[in-house]
Amino acid sequence: MATWTRASATPEAALAELGLPEHASHWRLALERFLAHRLAVASLVTLLVLVVLVLLGPVISPYSPEHTNLDVRYEAPSRAHLMGTDSLGRDLLTRIMFGGRVSLTIGVLAMTVAITLGVVIGGLAGFYGGVPDAVLMRFVDMMLSFPRLFLLILFSVFFGGHFLTVVLLLGALSWMGVSRIIRASFLSLKERQFVEAARALAVPNRAIMLRHLLPNALAPIIVAATLGIATAIIAESTLSFLGLGIQPPTPSWGNMLKDAQTDMVTAPWTAVFPGLAIFVTVVAINFIGDGLRDALDPQHVTRSARR
Amino acid sequence: MSKVPNLAIAMVAMLALGACGGGATGPTALTPVKGGTMTVAVWQEPNTLYPYYATQTVSTLVYEIALEGLVRVTPDGAYQPVLAKEVPTVANGGLKLSTSGQSMDVTYHLKPGLKWADGQPVTSDDVRFTWQAIMKDPKVTTRGGYDQITSIDTPDPVTAVVHYGSIYAPYASRFSSSAGQPILPRHVLEKEADISKSDFVRTPSGTGPFKITEFKSADHITAERNPNYREAGKPYLDRIIFRSVPSREVALAQLKAGEVDAMWNLLEAQLPDIEKQTDIKVRAVTSPSVERLEFNLAKPGNPADQNVPHPVLGDVNMRHALVLATPKRELVSKLLFGKATVAQSTLSIGWAAPRDVHQDDYNPTKAKQVLDQAGWVAGSDGIRVKNGVRASLKITTTTGDQIREEIEQVLVDRWRQIGVALEVSNIPSSVLFGSWSANAPRKKGNFDINMYASSPDIDPHETVAQRFACANIPRPENNGLGFNYYRYCDSQTDQLIQQAGSIVDQDKRKQLYSSILKRLNDAQISVWLYNRSNIDAYRFTVGGYKDNGWDNLTWNTEDWFVSKK
Amino acid sequence: MSRYASRRLLQALPLLLGISVASFLIINAVPGGPLSAYENAPGVTPLDLQRLEHQLGLDQPLYVRYVTWLAHFLSGDWGYSYATQQPVLAMIRERLPNTLYLMGSVYVVTLLLAIPLGVVTAIRQYSWLDHLFTGLSFAGLSMPTFWLGLLMIIALGLTLRIFPLGGIATPGADFNLFDRLWHLALPVATLSFVGIAHYSRYLRASMLETLHQDYMRTARAKGLSHRSAVFHHALKNAALPLVTIAALDLPELFVGALVTEQIFGWPGMGRLFWDSATRSDYPVLMGILAVSSTLIVLANLAADLAYGYLDPRIRYA
Repeated sequence: MATWTRASATPEAALAELGLPEHASHWRLALERFLAHRLAVASLVTLLVLVVLVLLGPVISPYSPEHTNLDVRYEAPSRAHLMGTDSLGRDLLTRIMFGGRVSLTIGVLAMTVAITLGVVIGGLAGFYGGVPDAVLMRFVDMMLSFPRLFLLILFSVFFGGHFLTVVLLLGALSWMGVSRIIRASFLSLKERQFVEAARALAVPNRAIMLRHLLPNALAPIIVAATLGIATAIIAESTLSFLGLGIQPPTPSWGNMLKDAQTDMVTAPWTAVFPGLAIFVTVVAINFIGDGLRDALDPQHVTRSARR
Repeated sequence: MSKVPNLAIAMVAMLALGACGGGATGPTALTPVKGGTMTVAVWQEPNTLYPYYATQTVSTLVYEIALEGLVRVTPDGAYQPVLAKEVPTVANGGLKLSTSGQSMDVTYHLKPGLKWADGQPVTSDDVRFTWQAIMKDPKVTTRGGYDQITSIDTPDPVTAVVHYGSIYAPYASRFSSSAGQPILPRHVLEKEADISKSDFVRTPSGTGPFKITEFKSADHITAERNPNYREAGKPYLDRIIFRSVPSREVALAQLKAGEVDAMWNLLEAQLPDIEKQTDIKVRAVTSPSVERLEFNLAKPGNPADQNVPHPVLGDVNMRHALVLATPKRELVSKLLFGKATVAQSTLSIGWAAPRDVHQDDYNPTKAKQVLDQAGWVAGSDGIRVKNGVRASLKITTTTGDQIREEIEQVLVDRWRQIGVALEVSNIPSSVLFGSWSANAPRKKGNFDINMYASSPDIDPHETVAQRFACANIPRPENNGLGFNYYRYCDSQTDQLIQQAGSIVDQDKRKQLYSSILKRLNDAQISVWLYNRSNIDAYRFTVGGYKDNGWDNLTWNTEDWFVSKK
Repeated sequence: MSRYASRRLLQALPLLLGISVASFLIINAVPGGPLSAYENAPGVTPLDLQRLEHQLGLDQPLYVRYVTWLAHFLSGDWGYSYATQQPVLAMIRERLPNTLYLMGSVYVVTLLLAIPLGVVTAIRQYSWLDHLFTGLSFAGLSMPTFWLGLLMIIALGLTLRIFPLGGIATPGADFNLFDRLWHLALPVATLSFVGIAHYSRYLRASMLETLHQDYMRTARAKGLSHRSAVFHHALKNAALPLVTIAALDLPELFVGALVTEQIFGWPGMGRLFWDSATRSDYPVLMGILAVSSTLIVLANLAADLAYGYLDPRIRYA
């Protein structure tokens, strides 16, 4: 079950080093390695706290994110408003929490779209090879040759700034990297003996791809998925900053920064806090992704074993 | 550069003169100083400086210091002669209607001794050439009015007789600096096969106090004093530099630091910051631009059918209630820092602006009553329903405009309180203001409510006719021509409009426009939100500027000066 | 190799054609059109708009307009901007040097700092230096570029007043190298921060993999000094993937960073694209898209060729 491919230390030695019994599954091994990565664990905790805040906060907050109160515009952070108020007198903290729901959801959904597209296209190309591979990779090339931000802008102008549009747009423009990884992975995996065995047993192609190849390619997919959320969150914030993403009054971390350029002179907290929210979230996700990469990549055993 | 001694000297000067600065029009305490350079920060770069191609305000801002028309509009909305000796009217014989009443002649007498910046004399040939240039060049922005001119005679070098083939009521506003329609130098431009490829579109010079000498892209535009300017002793300044800055924020920072002397077109949001500065003066003057909520009276579609009323907005009571539910005064005082005025109709200033036309003030209680009486009953979610139709509307405005977005969000909030659900759906301005053939929703009638601003000319006829006459509803039959986006159709209004465009008596026309605007408000076709102000800022060392809502801040640069720099 | 290159180039042509068609369709599908600037100009009548529409050729069917554009484009006439009436090629030529200047500086600074950082953090893995720079790298990777730019402006431009708030140089002043560098500082710092984060992480990972290869142990066993082994063996091999991504990033030199240019008011290609996109200035958009997609295709080819050249294990048929 474990697929070791590196040069030196034996799996048994690695397991022993981590204090695990000999027959632990490689998922268990990965989990232990992840937990040894302190920064990743701290980030995971941070992220969980953030998610809880974002889900629960709006429920316990006494303020509404959309109710305007023109008498308390641009108030600096105080006991009543922990992060101050924005240009329409709305509590910034409440809006950041609501905005978190939007931004995180878009991040996860956009990543899902991208991963799905990437796995399907890359997997088909890698598995079948030959002509389908050439055609699909040419398609990938074409998509990559389009300047991404340009396409994003043009499509956003066309389709407008609705939730679903933003998700599909971000997903449709970021699957190419994943497809290359999966293609490379499938290309090498399909030469393996277990695939040959499956074919000998007349297992249908689709089953081979889904039940044999895909689980073995899961490691890079997981890492790509994690980092993909981070990329999607930043992409959404850039899009909203330009005015093309989520439309007001729905708050998203990106569109809260939209007016930052004008407001930052008189009310810098409106520029700092939403950006900080994005920053903390994305840093946490990046550390988690790094930890996952370390944990799931078997070759890392070599590295950490050689202090 | 040390500011303290300058401030001290200026204060001493002011005290010595015994006058206090400021006032309704500008600082009167500083005495004009001859010479010097003034730098104006502009956060947008003009695409072109040829008046007849220009669509941007910033283009007009720059070229009008070099190019002048026969007349211009003063701050109080009256016409003033510039290159002409007087404004032609029936009284002084400048305007003659033909005996048949179907055509008219307008005679302009040029001031004597006028010279172009290069020393050549200004003649009536230049007036005729200007008209020909407008009509011959397919790229000009507008030919409105000029296409009614059949010919221009030049009996002598200082007289131009313009023959109109019809009764063109807004005749006085043609060849006006304020309309961006100045006189062009024939001797310079007649040899150009294509004006758009000549240097004139980047560095024009004319009869104005300055001539544009250098246009460095994304950097600056230099204008030097015109040695042949008609007023002796003016302009005071030697040079004006328009500095291209990346954003309003940078412009403001430079103004505060004293690196520029004036700044064009601030946002209301920047006011709290700048009003704290003691060495900067902010001038906000009401412009003819009116921000409005435009209701679509027809059922939205691509294209909309004007014969089918809008399911929600087709009910005049609903429209009335929305007017009552809009807190105009609060928006103006809070979001616009009081730097705008509440609007009552589409004509805010000028001779045609009525004093007796109003819209209801904010009164949510009354709004609810109106809706109750009209049969709009609140559903379980608080949103009203009538005959199975839910009071749910979409509002559209341009993206990237903070004030507009803020207003939308306040409206979402307040209208919900009276039981109307409002959804924001903004689009870029190029889409909102796009053309029929490019499926722009406003043209096609595919919207509920649009929010934007539009300004009528000093003569309101074009605006009123295009926007409120039934024939000007854009539809497939007329290829989408026309600006009546409301899809408002009323025969009596049409009659009044037709009348107002067929006579030249200004007082009579004013009464007609008043009646028209009253009818429009009774029909509640729009919520006139506020009259926008032009907000500019100057350092305290600058003097001579005067506010003019009809024009840009550069309308009287011949009077500008910079003291003690 | 040259056969491979020429084959790829030939393949690129239909790709570029396809991209131009797709771009044209997308641009024209956006509702609105370029006449919106005229719509709001005071005094414009519907007849004027009709005339202008005809004048700009917008009343013709889509395929006619595309073929006309293509024919002109291939013969060197890139058309005229609807907004400024200036030739598209001239506008691009005017903006391109500014972007090259900014992005070139970013490129150089990024590589100059990222390579040593990547090497040092790999050699001294898990040291405090590694942790510090890893932390900074993650910070760089996790910030939206525009936010970093805004923070820099707030901190260094507005509050401390050390750096200018934007623009390429002090307007009106003559060319002054120090002034140019002073204006270059903040945008380059913003973009480099992210770039260095990416590149140094990449190099670090690549170095780590190389450092633990068997041949490194052999080199040390043979008596080669640590430094020699690192630079002559590890770095050379580790740098290969870096060359690839550096080549792939080359188009950025010409296309620019749109959001950064907006924030710092840099008059470059990114801003030109944004201005043109928001006012539906089709000819300029098509020109920019043609330039950038060609560059991306060429950069991809360059990356593959460079990799093939540098890595003797790879040979292209």
